[in-house]
Amino acid sequence: MTVTGLRTPAPGGSAAPAAPRLRWPGLRMTWLFLASRRVPATLAALALLGLVMRAALYWHWTLGSRGAAAQAVPVLIEAGAAAVIAISTYSPMGEPERATGRWLPWLRLAAAAGLTGVAVGALAAGAASAAPAGLAGGSLDLLRNVAGLAGLGLLAAAVTGGLLAWVGPLGYVMLAEIGLVAGWGSPLLWPGRPSHDLGGALCAGLVFAAGLLVTTVRGARDPVHE
Amino acid sequence: MTATQLPARPRAAALRPPSGGTAWRLLRLELRRSPMPWTFPLLAALFAFDPYRTAMGYPAVWTIRASVLPNKMLPDFVVFVVGIAAWVGSRDGRRHTLDLVEMTPRPRWAGQLAAWAATTIWAIVAFLAATAVLYGVTAAQATWGGPPWWPVIVSCAELAALAALGFTAGALFPGRFTAPLAAVGAFVLSLEGFNNAVGRSSAFAVLSPTTYVPANDAGVFYPYPPDVAIDQLMFLAGLTAVVLGVLGLARSSGAGPGLRRGVAVLTAAGTAAALTAVGLAGTARQALPGTSQPPSATAPLSMQAPWVIPALHDAASDQPRPYTPVCQTVAAVPVCIHPAFRIYLPDVAAALGPVLRVVAGLPGAPVRAGQVASGSLVPRSGQVNVGGLPAGEISGTPPAFSYTADQVPARAFAESRGMFITSLQAALVGAFVPAGVSQPATGAPAVPDRRTAPAVAPRVAVQEALLIDVGVPLATQRKQGLIAVQLPSALQAQADIVAQRFAGLPAAARHAWLARHLAALRAGHVTLAQLP
Repeated sequence: MTVTGLRTPAPGGSAAPAAPRLRWPGLRMTWLFLASRRVPATLAALALLGLVMRAALYWHWTLGSRGAAAQAVPVLIEAGAAAVIAISTYSPMGEPERATGRWLPWLRLAAAAGLTGVAVGALAAGAASAAPAGLAGGSLDLLRNVAGLAGLGLLAAAVTGGLLAWVGPLGYVMLAEIGLVAGWGSPLLWPGRPSHDLGGALCAGLVFAAGLLVTTVRGARDPVHE
Repeated sequence: MTATQLPARPRAAALRPPSGGTAWRLLRLELRRSPMPWTFPLLAALFAFDPYRTAMGYPAVWTIRASVLPNKMLPDFVVFVVGIAAWVGSRDGRRHTLDLVEMTPRPRWAGQLAAWAATTIWAIVAFLAATAVLYGVTAAQATWGGPPWWPVIVSCAELAALAALGFTAGALFPGRFTAPLAAVGAFVLSLEGFNNAVGRSSAFAVLSPTTYVPANDAGVFYPYPPDVAIDQLMFLAGLTAVVLGVLGLARSSGAGPGLRRGVAVLTAAGTAAALTAVGLAGTARQALPGTSQPPSATAPLSMQAPWVIPALHDAASDQPRPYTPVCQTVAAVPVCIHPAFRIYLPDVAAALGPVLRVVAGLPGAPVRAGQVASGSLVPRSGQVNVGGLPAGEISGTPPAFSYTADQVPARAFAESRGMFITSLQAALVGAFVPAGVSQPATGAPAVPDRRTAPAVAPRVAVQEALLIDVGVPLATQRKQGLIAVQLPSALQAQADIVAQRFAGLPAAARHAWLARHLAALRAGHVTLAQLP
């Protein structure tokens, strides 16, 4: 007898026990997905970065009160938030999860977009609690920077794997810091552009969209050694 | 044989360093599996855009070019060295292989030291490669002196300390977020250190290797004192030992007492070294170059003056470095410059020549012009200053004009050859006809009060006229702030009119008037109305 002949239970054999029916299977799946991505720890890390942002503005860790020098530390913290989001794409399950998860792409999309929103909120709250005026570039600046940097992180995760994806946003932000100080005006270095600049916003938005797309369709790379 | 018959576990070995062959094999394994080389392309791009580009914008003088190593290159390395070190340090914890690796015959700490050393070695290799490029290009451009090695040594020590901090953070908190958070934290700390060093919030800020750009002629006229570099090296080496010692104490609980004792000794020695360095940093003070003397009212300090630490100071650092100036005769006046700035001699001659021709034969006209160390000029009221210090002075018998390298153009600070020439001309004019008011140490223009302003205005007018005569129009004088006096606006307007009228006189008439009235003008006994 081969497995191809198994259509009904053998006569006299006991039927396989039915799997317990879950009351909220979608909710449970979502929770398992979030837990596998360490989303609670990611939220804690983002909250920590919000506090760091508050401390940086409150104790004036910036190199100046205005202009590029004032943005150096906030942009770095924004890159840290983007790095944390990128790392959250790592999954310890790998191939089995891909093979069975029909909703996986949508969960990846929702997690990446949601965490980016949380990051913007946490950093904006940290900035607003430190100074009524908030960041020098305003909330739009923060939104653009975090979204663009998170997009870079998501793209890096597709190349290096989730755990090393922090290299992408942090490497980019080092270049951006140089551009900030040197006064480079390229929209590709959007952290150095004014908050109302269309070119910078477009570049950041495109990178974020590309990052979301790659994460949704493909997810982070699974390095074999991790 | 049953388990009960097994001999008792032998006592853990005393501190027994791995044999050379084992240690080398371990290090070679770690060097091969280190992810640090993967960051080299990114580090190379950062080097090209930041330290190299900045250094090429500085004058080709060794000390100022070498300042980009701690000021620019180290901050670029911080993120990657700390992040990768934390990544390597958290490897066993992340992969849940701690139980496996702790069973090996060698103490786990030895394996961790090998992993830390591999990360550090790769970081230092990248740093030295970039330094070799920078020094190689500078060697081809510099006309005097040799490469300073203290910035290289201190930078390598900081890389080792950063790697130790990142590695220990990764080993003690092996989470997936440790690497980026450690990297961001280290970079924020680095920026904060730089912020304090530039702002001189306290003497302890000298512990930050990342600091302000030294004077253009640092290390040229006098050796750059290594006091602070020695202190920083002591601090960073101590910090590295403490951090690795803490890791050893946390990870050597299963090892023998010898190892634990060794780790404790290492930690104690590191703590002692770091605390000593902190204590010495508290005694640091800026000093006049070549004197190790504190500033005084008559000899204030340049912002970029070197720091000395009395306990570490070597009197040999105060001895001037011998050199033979290079000279060119202009308007029958020899104009000399230090050989380190030889390439600027044509510009200096082009700048001073026209002014020397205008003032030739007048009382107090210089018969020689030469470069002196930055910060060595004694401030006198009414001179054109750079950052609160005189840019030039005329002194001695026969009178000689002395200028400093402060105005040497640095493209990195958006300074051009044209600005260099006009600022030198303004320095000579300001020294020849001092305006008679003191400029604040901040370098802001001097503002005479209502009582003295009328006596100052004629001297300002003559300064302006002489600069107009050598081809620097009033608009350029204003734009570049060449006249370091801010008169009341109505008086300034009158002075400008008089200056243009005086500059419009025939050269012979102007020369004759100056020959007769220069002494009275300098003494403040000439009014605007008396100027022709």
